[in-house]
Amino acid sequence: MAMKKFMNDPANLTAEMLEGMALAYSNKVKIVNERIVVRAQPKAEDKVALICFGGTGHEPAMHGFVGEGMADAAVAGDVFAAPGGPKVFEALEMFNRPAGVILLTLNHNGDRMAARKALRMAEKAGLNVKEIVVAEDIAPGIDADPEDRRGLGGSIPLMKVIGAACEEGKSIDEVLEIGNNFHAGLATLSVALKVATHPQNGAEIGALADDEMEIGMGQHGEGGGGVMKVQTADETAKIMVERLVAATKLQSGDKALLIINGSGATTTMEMLICYRAAAKILADMGITVVDGIVDELLTVQEMAGFQMTLAKVCPTCEAYLKARANTPYWTCVG
Amino acid sequence: MTLEQFKAIWVKAQAAINANEKYFSELDAATGGDGDHGTAIVAALNAIVNADGDDFKSYIENMAEKLETEASGSTSSLYGGWCEGMAEAVPAGKTELTADEVAAMFEGGFDEICALTKARKGDKTMMDALQPATEALLAAQGEGEAAMFAAAAKAAKEGSEATAQMQAKFGRARNLGERSIGAIDAGSASMAVIFSCFA
Repeated sequence: MAMKKFMNDPANLTAEMLEGMALAYSNKVKIVNERIVVRAQPKAEDKVALICFGGTGHEPAMHGFVGEGMADAAVAGDVFAAPGGPKVFEALEMFNRPAGVILLTLNHNGDRMAARKALRMAEKAGLNVKEIVVAEDIAPGIDADPEDRRGLGGSIPLMKVIGAACEEGKSIDEVLEIGNNFHAGLATLSVALKVATHPQNGAEIGALADDEMEIGMGQHGEGGGGVMKVQTADETAKIMVERLVAATKLQSGDKALLIINGSGATTTMEMLICYRAAAKILADMGITVVDGIVDELLTVQEMAGFQMTLAKVCPTCEAYLKARANTPYWTCVG
Repeated sequence: MTLEQFKAIWVKAQAAINANEKYFSELDAATGGDGDHGTAIVAALNAIVNADGDDFKSYIENMAEKLETEASGSTSSLYGGWCEGMAEAVPAGKTELTADEVAAMFEGGFDEICALTKARKGDKTMMDALQPATEALLAAQGEGEAAMFAAAAKAAKEGSEATAQMQAKFGRARNLGERSIGAIDAGSASMAVIFSCFA
């Protein structure tokens, strides 16, 4: 089917999207140097800064989570394409401070290369920057090499935890430890019912028959292996949550965060039904679910499906997840 | 090779890449990528031809800079690294390179790309064109520039065509597993087109 989207010149998608976000949430964010989204009110210079970056077309990620309690800046690339290393460096330099800067990188080839270049430039310039690489996708297998795991929607709650720790005034080493601990118990698995189209060329990304779904699809519709006949909400949630429990090593008595993150074209109704099924299975296992999220955090255009994220939550992380945040797409009264 | 010849090759490559934009995107989608290699490689070549410089080193350094500031995504990062490696390998201030200096330039570019990605020949990526092309170019070093570029273009084309039978091990296509077999890798196809412009 031909692509059907509200858009103007495909070349201006990213610029116009960022402009829209800055206009809609002018009390929270603004754009500087064309592609860098920053807070409308910067946080104190003596606190560690958190910078993220990535391709666009996944809104509200990443730029929608810039603001109090989360990121200080997000560097946008182009549709599904990471910004160049020098652009990421520009943001690192902008937020350089004695307390330090954390760069959050999602594990995708383009993002890793941009980060590598930016970190090299930062080192040359003598900036105090540390990197956290998000690689929580369990599609390649629970015991897969972290280098083979992609960074998916779990990056958003991770950003919440890290951002809150920065906001609280933790040192860069403390923030890194908190972030790495949360990441160690973080896992995401995705499922797709319908593929997305690339908004710049109208091409369908991947292929799924009318009666098929695929577990393990990534951020751009890349295949992940698990093609099967469409299952019910309960069956789908069961397959996914059981793998996620195994990956996070959650046990009876543990606390967990459960997120159903819509890919773009799945209704909130379906997402809530899947959440219900997963939450019940967790409850039966004796795992306590803290406040969940059923929302679109990191999307893939009009792909139908969702990412299920499960995370082991320690008391510190629970406090950070619930700490005050005021960003365009994640607000918390704290 | 003179600097003017080198610049003209990139202008020719830009036109050749532009003419195949849709084809590259279709290959990308067919092998499990996100279907935008055409967009990405056109953006990369547009950035490259915007480069400026009075000698080989400064011109190629500027190519890398343009790639990393005017284009986005992994294609531009990889081509940027390729250019950085080439710029590093050529002596400063030269507007004409000997065949040996050309060989050293391509060797330097290849080494830098190897530092950027773990992908090598056989992984169904652009390396399936670049690696055999570089190897063939170096092997023909004693036979003069024309023979070097002819060998490189032939090796790049054959290397790219061989990817049709390969299973992707890198990039987004990796996740498709066996289903990535059948189509040529888009990044190798565009790289082969670029080498054909050198011949």
